[in-house]
Amino acid sequence: MYDQIITAYNEAIFDTDRDRALQVVRQAEQDGMSPEDIVFKLVMPAIELMLASVSEQMNANLAQHFLTSQIAAEVVEEMLPRFRQAPEACGTIVIGTSPGDFHGLGKRIVIGCLKAHMIETIDLGLNVAPERFVDEAVAHGAGVIGISSMMVHTARGENGCRMVRQILRERGLEGKIRIIVGGAPYRFDARLFKEVGADAWAENGIAAGSVIADLLQEVRP
Amino acid sequence: MMNGMERLAAAINGTPADRIPVFCNLLDQGAAELGMSIREYYSNGEHVATGQLRMREKYGYDNLWSLFYVGKEAELLGCRHMVFAADGPPNVGEMIIKTYDDIAGIRVPDDITSHPAFAEELKCLSILRREAGGKYPVCAYITSTMTLPSLLMGMEKWLEMLLCGPADLRDELLAKCHEFFVKEVQAYRAAGADVLVYSNPFGSTDFVSMKYFMEHTLPWIEKDIKAVGTEGMVYYCGSARFNRVIDIVQQRTGIGVWYLSPLDDVAEGKRLIAGRGLCCGIINDIEMIDWQPDRVRQEVKRIIGAGKPGGKFLFGTLVMPFAIPEENIRAMLEAAYEYGSFEN
Repeated sequence: MYDQIITAYNEAIFDTDRDRALQVVRQAEQDGMSPEDIVFKLVMPAIELMLASVSEQMNANLAQHFLTSQIAAEVVEEMLPRFRQAPEACGTIVIGTSPGDFHGLGKRIVIGCLKAHMIETIDLGLNVAPERFVDEAVAHGAGVIGISSMMVHTARGENGCRMVRQILRERGLEGKIRIIVGGAPYRFDARLFKEVGADAWAENGIAAGSVIADLLQEVRP
Repeated sequence: MMNGMERLAAAINGTPADRIPVFCNLLDQGAAELGMSIREYYSNGEHVATGQLRMREKYGYDNLWSLFYVGKEAELLGCRHMVFAADGPPNVGEMIIKTYDDIAGIRVPDDITSHPAFAEELKCLSILRREAGGKYPVCAYITSTMTLPSLLMGMEKWLEMLLCGPADLRDELLAKCHEFFVKEVQAYRAAGADVLVYSNPFGSTDFVSMKYFMEHTLPWIEKDIKAVGTEGMVYYCGSARFNRVIDIVQQRTGIGVWYLSPLDDVAEGKRLIAGRGLCCGIINDIEMIDWQPDRVRQEVKRIIGAGKPGGKFLFGTLVMPFAIPEENIRAMLEAAYEYGSFEN
């Protein structure tokens, strides 16, 4: 029924054409597509398609990831208040970059996707101290801490994920809070996430959404 | 025995040599070599030159660097806050473009060589030329027009501006970055740099789609290279893959040296370059941190095995992380000299 709309939206996203993608959403609304269908049949499948494109070597790229997540976040934020029934919250994550790391792009892509997944996201910003990751996670009842690093020394450093792990251990929080990491150093070394004490990693910001959703399921009381 | 400059020339021209050229990009390690902090090391061009000369002498590879750290270009355009680490490269700590309104205020210095942030690089270059000029190629690092804004406003905001921002302001910023790029290349050449690494992650289809590349990135690459010529220019996408664009960039610009990503297929890259230039096969030096020396050797053997047949090949690294153990650096270089030899 919505095949044409879905195709037009996906084409716009793959062409990194934000205006055209939003135009398709507006047209879908005018054609009577419900807010729920816009989110679950248009926006979310586009994220899944992007993910499949990465794994199937169709050469999805950073610009497409960025735009997919930003439009998804924008549209979901607009549609949510108009849902007939408020969707069930999927959990909370706190997210930031590791100490000494001032690269926010990956984090921003992840946050966009998390909004689309309806996961409550607390953005701690850049250059976040390990204690703060844990304190904020506890304060917000977050089940996952996300640590983004673009540089090798910030990914591997003693004050990054390793220290967050140590603090969780010392405070007896390991059963309640999971750690996910991401960023360039992890892409170049797929075993690094274990080395630094994380529970999981995601190859890109788009993939992070579903990995985090799974981690939240694990720690759900 | 040949020196680095002779090996590089032989590889580019496809003439006989004792072995392939080996480029090992050790930067922050110079601080440890001199027994000082990274901040202190980069405060003086003499330190950097001494570190570069000592490390090349110690390990025997073929290149030297005038690069301090990538954020230096942001300093030349007004950034006054770098964040130094004990075990890695400095970060740009303050974006000089915080809002689109700041673009109008960006001023490209008339003479960047007179800028205090460039003075130490000039000092470094002059020492390198004096001590090793003509024997070992001195490399300079230059961020492309299309990528430079990410150092001024952050990759996140730049990507947003490229995809969704006002085209007139985007073009105004790119024009300023191009002006800076041209002046920087001229300054490095005048100071004696032999190799100019043209760094352009936006020239990779890992960053942007082929369609976007053709419509937006390629015209700026053409403009950059047309303005400064191809002499010494090396196409590099900051560790991102670019095999898909080799053919079109070669045709449009005539660039003759290709510094692949560790994630690119070396044999495929070599096939695409098709003898029109020098193919550089690059090791994954991030993964290398945790490898055992045997694994390092295997990887070097694999890369050189894929690229060396037929010549016109160089073995290289990315910017080697500070955490790589010295025994792995030695294992990598010994293997590169052995498998890269033409004298067996």
